[in-house]
Amino acid sequence: MNSSEEKPGQRDGLSKRENIDSTGLIKDRHILIAVDDSKSSERAVLYVADFLGDAPGFCATIFSLVPVPEAEFFKTGEERAAWIEERQSKMEHLLKIYRQILIQAGFPEDKVFTEVVTKEYSSVAEGIIDEQEKLGSCTVVVARHRISKEEEFLLGSTSNKLLHMPKNCSLWIIE
Amino acid sequence: MGLNKTVKGGRGYSYSEIRELISLRVAPQRVPRNVNIITDTSDFFRVNYNDVLLLNNRPYLVRNSEKEGRFGLDDEPKFWVRRSIDLVDGQTKIIKMVFHEDFKMRVGDLVFDCIRSPRKEARILDKVRGHGRFMQGFSVEDAGGNCIRIIDRIKGKRLYDMILESGVPHEDYFADHFPPLLDEFIELVKAIKFLHDQGEKHGDIRTDHLILDNETRQYRWIDFDFNYIHRENRFGYDLFGLGNILAFIAGKGFLTLQGLKQDNSAVLRQLTDKDMNIIFKNRVYNLKKVYPYIPDSLNFVLLHFSLGTHIFYDTTADFFSDLMEVKHELK
Repeated sequence: MNSSEEKPGQRDGLSKRENIDSTGLIKDRHILIAVDDSKSSERAVLYVADFLGDAPGFCATIFSLVPVPEAEFFKTGEERAAWIEERQSKMEHLLKIYRQILIQAGFPEDKVFTEVVTKEYSSVAEGIIDEQEKLGSCTVVVARHRISKEEEFLLGSTSNKLLHMPKNCSLWIIE
Repeated sequence: MGLNKTVKGGRGYSYSEIRELISLRVAPQRVPRNVNIITDTSDFFRVNYNDVLLLNNRPYLVRNSEKEGRFGLDDEPKFWVRRSIDLVDGQTKIIKMVFHEDFKMRVGDLVFDCIRSPRKEARILDKVRGHGRFMQGFSVEDAGGNCIRIIDRIKGKRLYDMILESGVPHEDYFADHFPPLLDEFIELVKAIKFLHDQGEKHGDIRTDHLILDNETRQYRWIDFDFNYIHRENRFGYDLFGLGNILAFIAGKGFLTLQGLKQDNSAVLRQLTDKDMNIIFKNRVYNLKKVYPYIPDSLNFVLLHFSLGTHIFYDTTADFFSDLMEVKHELK
């Protein structure tokens, strides 16, 4: 389990370099499943488990970007650190469960990775694409949250933004 | 609260010096007999008229509280915002003390987390220094560690009042007053883009947060201390505010269903839900149905903020670019 930026730790994911064999070919097709703590994200994990669980030649990273609100939302640095700690450990716990779901569906244990990034980010979609580029994954999987049109208008939608962003991977949006 | 009868040391002022400075700025009978000199504003309720705030060794004579002038309601005094006289140069300043507030803001049916952040406003004041489209000022820390903002007072009227006081019929207003107002608005959108490009939100874009500066004859944005927890679109709420202002200046005030009903307007039968604002569902945003002389390009921009839209503005740059087309069509 990796927790980067705010609280660096041992990276547990598969880097772009590690997924290339001695002849320069990609060993496994790398799927990046971007999740948060919503029910819709669970649907995305279950979909990948169901769809690819038995298929050979795939590895997966379950990734969660927890955007930290700007410093002024916290009274003290300690309050901010505690907030980050709490969110991080909550997501790490959830990602462990999601990892087990993929393993039980047939993914080899050594081919499912998890990563939590907790930092100030202006856009979750941009953070997901940054991670996809870093890992060199060929597919990004996200869930579409069932938000109202008004909510999407004022607050934006990560899946919609991902859909319209330039990227060098395919995108699965799970309804 | 730090109350000092004698404040000396460094380049500080003695009590009698401060009284002398006051006498230079107010009529002799108005010079207070006893002056409260305050260096720590943590309890801003104890800052009273005729007290002197000594901030960064500079004395400010406190006058009245500023008021939240909005929508013609009885103005609510903001006790943490005091008009003051800089006793060194005699200029009127608006002194904003620290009032921490976190609250849930309701916009239509949506609720999100908001705060009033002195630090954010102080940061933006630094970033917009010298920019003619923003209020100007600086921040200092008082003896209690509070982030105090000292703002130049802008003499002038708010956009809200300027538009509503215009007594001409809409068609005349739109032909004569709207084009220069649109030019002004475009500059104000550019100013918000300047903020966004630096990763800052205004946070509270409203028609009463724009003041027409009597000196420069240009509108300036005021009050940047609100912040909200954004999700995917960091600037979505700011863009929503800009859309509201455009509808306000294009419609000579907000055009509401209630207003049309009062006027027994025949247009009411042609309006559908899709013509209304996406959040405030009583405000008509398909203005062309009511005012057919409004150019298509302007109506097209307004419809991005309507319930019928499937395309939203993501950035101020996109909004700005469409406004430039409106400007060309109006020429």
